[in-house]
Amino acid sequence: MVLRGSTKEQTETKTKPETSLAPPWNVIVHDDPVTLMNYVTKVFIQVFGYSQDKAHRLMMEVHQEGRSVVWTGGREKAEVYAQKLQAHHLLTSLEVVDG
Amino acid sequence: MWAARVSEGFVFGELTPATVETLTGVPMLIESADARVRQRLLPDTYDAAEDEQQWRRHAVPELERLFLSRAQLVRRDLATMRSMPKSVDKVLLIRDEHASAWLSALNAARLALFVLNDLKAEHMDADGYAKATAKQREAVLRIHLLAEMQSVLLGDLELESAGSFEDFILE
Repeated sequence: MVLRGSTKEQTETKTKPETSLAPPWNVIVHDDPVTLMNYVTKVFIQVFGYSQDKAHRLMMEVHQEGRSVVWTGGREKAEVYAQKLQAHHLLTSLEVVDG
Repeated sequence: MWAARVSEGFVFGELTPATVETLTGVPMLIESADARVRQRLLPDTYDAAEDEQQWRRHAVPELERLFLSRAQLVRRDLATMRSMPKSVDKVLLIRDEHASAWLSALNAARLALFVLNDLKAEHMDADGYAKATAKQREAVLRIHLLAEMQSVLLGDLELESAGSFEDFILE
């Protein structure tokens, strides 16, 4: 796991060119039968700054498909988003993007 | 229970003793040491064991501190509940600056009630509710009550709008 905010990490990010080749990670939100749909939408807007439409579409995907990839990108940022989503009690996991 | 908008935030009134008991349980549910509650509020995030261990070492303590801080905020707000005139019912003000913390705290409490009472998704609708035990039914009712409060805080319901909380209470 990448440790956020450490000096060592910042140094490595600047000096290791392979960082850019690191695989992206998916932030996944899973459905649960308790959390209100409008609450999920509000959290997506608050955490990612998504538009109402995009947040609503992702929420519906969670609701109908059981899960949704709500963000993809570098691991460090993915962890920050996962922590923020879990802070609001959305069922969130991280998975590396295959290939 | 009714809700109204005042200049300071949201007012919830006619909180019966049963409702107050449910609300008093919110911080206790967030702080619950029950493994099912901990697992739901702090879920597994990685498939790989090593990654998950790192996550639990670095991300989870921060989340735990946040949850405890929210529980304390809710407890402090609940301590300011006032009695309604000539009634055992109470009235609660949730200030705007506390609304977001309350929203998440209510969600945590609802999730905790769900797992502590072995509820399934089917219990949340009418058919499933009919098949639930008495204890489970009570938990479902509490979950729905807290959802009503969440809906108010989310702005999903049209509310009567008043002036200040003090003026509103004196009316």
